[in-house]
Amino acid sequence: MSASIQGGAAATEGVDVSAARRPGSIRHVALREPTAIAGLAIIAFFVLVAILSPILLTGDPKEKVGPIFEPPSPSHPLGLDGGGADMVKLLIAGTRVSLLVGFCAALVSAFIGGAVGLFAGFYGGKTDVALMRMTDYVIVIPDIPLMIVAAALFGRSLTNIIIIIGIIYWTTTARLIRAQVLSVRERVYVKRARALGAGNRRLIFKHILPQVAPLLVANTVLLVAYAVFAETFITFLGLGDPSVISWGRLIENAFNDDAILNNAWWAIIPPGLCVTLIVLGATLFGQSLEDALNPRLRVGHLSVRRFKVRPLRGKLDSE
Amino acid sequence: MTTPLLEIEDLNVWFELPGGGELHAVRGIGFELVAGERFGLVGESGCGKTTAMLSIMGLLPPNASVAGEVRLDGENILARGEETVSRHRWDDIAMVFQGAMNAFNPVQTVGSQIEEPMHLHGVAEGRAARRQTEELLERVGIPRDRADRFPHEFSGGMRQRAAIAMALACSPKILLADEPTTALDVMVQAQILELLVSLAADFDLALILVTHDLPVVAQVCDRAAVMYAGEVAESATIDALFHTPKHPYTRLLFAATPDLHAGGERVASIPGAPPRLDQPIIGCPFQPRCDSAFQPCATVTPLLKQVGEHHVAACHLNDHVRAAQTA
Amino acid sequence: MRGFDYVGKRVLFAALTVFVAITLNFVLFRTLSGDAVSALRCRQCTQAFKEYQREQLGLDQSRWEQYKLYLQDLAHGDMGKSLRTEQPVTHELWPPLKNTLAMVTLGTVFSIVFGVLIGVVCAWRRGTWADKGGLWSGLAFYSMPPQWLGLLMVLFVAGWLGLPTAGIKDPTLGILGDASWWAVFVDRFRHMILPALTLGLVLYGEYALVVRSAMLETLGEDYVLTARAKGLSNWRTVRTHGLRNALLPIVTLVALSLGFIIGGSITIEYVFSYPGIGLEVVEAIDQRDYPILQGAFLLLTLAVIGANLLADLLYFKLDPRVSG
Repeated sequence: MSASIQGGAAATEGVDVSAARRPGSIRHVALREPTAIAGLAIIAFFVLVAILSPILLTGDPKEKVGPIFEPPSPSHPLGLDGGGADMVKLLIAGTRVSLLVGFCAALVSAFIGGAVGLFAGFYGGKTDVALMRMTDYVIVIPDIPLMIVAAALFGRSLTNIIIIIGIIYWTTTARLIRAQVLSVRERVYVKRARALGAGNRRLIFKHILPQVAPLLVANTVLLVAYAVFAETFITFLGLGDPSVISWGRLIENAFNDDAILNNAWWAIIPPGLCVTLIVLGATLFGQSLEDALNPRLRVGHLSVRRFKVRPLRGKLDSE
Repeated sequence: MTTPLLEIEDLNVWFELPGGGELHAVRGIGFELVAGERFGLVGESGCGKTTAMLSIMGLLPPNASVAGEVRLDGENILARGEETVSRHRWDDIAMVFQGAMNAFNPVQTVGSQIEEPMHLHGVAEGRAARRQTEELLERVGIPRDRADRFPHEFSGGMRQRAAIAMALACSPKILLADEPTTALDVMVQAQILELLVSLAADFDLALILVTHDLPVVAQVCDRAAVMYAGEVAESATIDALFHTPKHPYTRLLFAATPDLHAGGERVASIPGAPPRLDQPIIGCPFQPRCDSAFQPCATVTPLLKQVGEHHVAACHLNDHVRAAQTA
Repeated sequence: MRGFDYVGKRVLFAALTVFVAITLNFVLFRTLSGDAVSALRCRQCTQAFKEYQREQLGLDQSRWEQYKLYLQDLAHGDMGKSLRTEQPVTHELWPPLKNTLAMVTLGTVFSIVFGVLIGVVCAWRRGTWADKGGLWSGLAFYSMPPQWLGLLMVLFVAGWLGLPTAGIKDPTLGILGDASWWAVFVDRFRHMILPALTLGLVLYGEYALVVRSAMLETLGEDYVLTARAKGLSNWRTVRTHGLRNALLPIVTLVALSLGFIIGGSITIEYVFSYPGIGLEVVEAIDQRDYPILQGAFLLLTLAVIGANLLADLLYFKLDPRVSG
């Protein structure tokens, strides 16, 4: 509350809640949110599986170990797929690939988007206009068809897929980072550094980038969700790398092997569930990070719940 | 003495805070208003004056609790909270909000928003409502044909006038005006204030003017209460507050203003800050900043006492005055 | 005329984007499908035939010449001929386009209805279980790959609701005598429901979130407090002041999600064997029918650009504050 007498208080004056959220303490705030923790836990689980997969897998996961579409049993908790292979092993193998694609593609996108946003925001003027125009055009082109077409044309290696996904999703990152850079650029310490003669490169890397980095990280987490999602599209249509197993591949297999006709829900549900969980986890975690960095408070004037009335408690001095 | 139109008695408002705990924003205030009277509520930002106003109309958020009585023509309209108070909205008590710029829905015409309460409260329908709207607009100094325009086509001052017209749509008995002239330039401020005064006279309105701006209070009001940290520090006629204040806060406030009738002067700050309202206050809330604090001030809460005719103040300096205590 | 500036700018931008899209289309396909002919599944093709094909496709000329030719053809509505069926591309793509438009429209309607309902309920009961439940379910469906959800629908819902799961026609309809117009319509509609429902479920979460946000923001606006002060009940305030203002963002959101709608519908059509543009794309890829692929891609891009423009203009009409 200010000492001087000034007007302009909000409708619910005296309620100062904003102190709880300050950009510097994102880790603390984000990690206290239950949704953020849940998201992080999910991601951590799958990452762990992916890392441990060489240990967990013995032999070729695609190896036929029983009749096709055998229902779940004690020895094979998730049954067998259309080729008689153990679903659990396939899923573990798939985790590794799907996450790899997800993270790498997200990094590519983050790099491109971050660079574009950084330069557009920092240099402003013609560079900004040009970069943003380009971004506008790229945004309009439907992403999934473009990915599919590019995948069809450029061959089917894993690397290509990563690159293709990466160069399609950078636009929102670019916009976000640019906005952030614009606001940081005007801050006092940046101006001071510039006045002291710091060169552009130094300004960018030492002063602006650190401020922008947290948001970039938060956005990258969200990008992972997109990337994993996108990979399933590509592989489902048969455009994926035929030599690797990914979750998307497993769904495609289930479809092509007529899992539905065989009522083999165990071949269909688990891979899709894994994708859903990772996307969910990444979205939750990434979103809470972003929220922690851009907190916005809303006061609602309207609600079903009403204010309460207390019985008269007596005069001032008896409290 | 005529029966007061509005009586506030021991009004308290608490807000639940997100991290637990409570903010006691209004701490047992009270005052009276007779028909046609112009009353001012003065204080720093955060002293609870806006919250007090909102609670008169029951416009509090769900995390608020309220205690005390707000008697309109003798009836406690706060008795059962939203149920009892909502009946009197706009019909009996209307409000012009702080920042009336935003009081209007941007996607509807101004005229339709003035007609809206008329329809709602059965004051007028169709053509009659339209005619009344145009008359109101004219009365506040806006050309009639502007009724079909959108809010963003009005200037700040005109939007303020329109908000006043809207407040009068159902001919209320009491008009609450929260900082009606903040964010307006000086010339427009004076016009708005004159408008309020003449409207109060013409419509036999009681007016409660909430502000931090002392010249405004001086121009418009007959009586005023000075609030500090959710409590009434002093209440008296304008004259008495200016010339014979009985509370150091009042004195410091008014003394800081070089020329009361010059208008538009920002009040200089009193060093220090008001106490936190989410903790109990021991002793006099103003004591840390007071230049005349003495022995009882830090430990004993001063009560509102009668210190003159229609003049009450809560300060230990007045303790020698042995008159009846005012609730 | 109000906002002539605004409308003009938007149309111009759309036109430019169309041009960029066309050029990109050309670059993507022509420069890369130089091997189109050799990649054709054409075992008995002689070299002469391949030369002939090349000439037909104009692949023997310089890039620049090809580009001009391409633009000229487009101006005449000629998108070349399918390599597979030798029919004009426009001819081939028109029926699937209609199918897709119908299904996607139905799906979008589902998602808007779900999204608005749930978004309003969430904002209304902010912080309660209804709010959290609504948000979580929306988020959950949004995270599911559409094709997987489609498969689940087939597995669990189709039988329960007695809906067909493939194609768009019941092949037995009309065999034993002419089917009535109504019967045909119902038949088509029944085939559309599952794919449209899948699309709707995947999309509504985002809409619900936006509606909720917009509602909350609107509900925090001063004019809502004023409405409450005027004596309006909660419900009336939401209806007259809250809803209209909060729905404005939906218009833009629908346009923005068109990219996803179109993409998602490709995989959904594949799962349900629904004969739309999406399925055409997949088959064209499979059979390396590049003209079809190019034509379909161009159509899809144009559709997205068109929808964006429409959303801009619609927003302009609905929000009196926008004056360019």
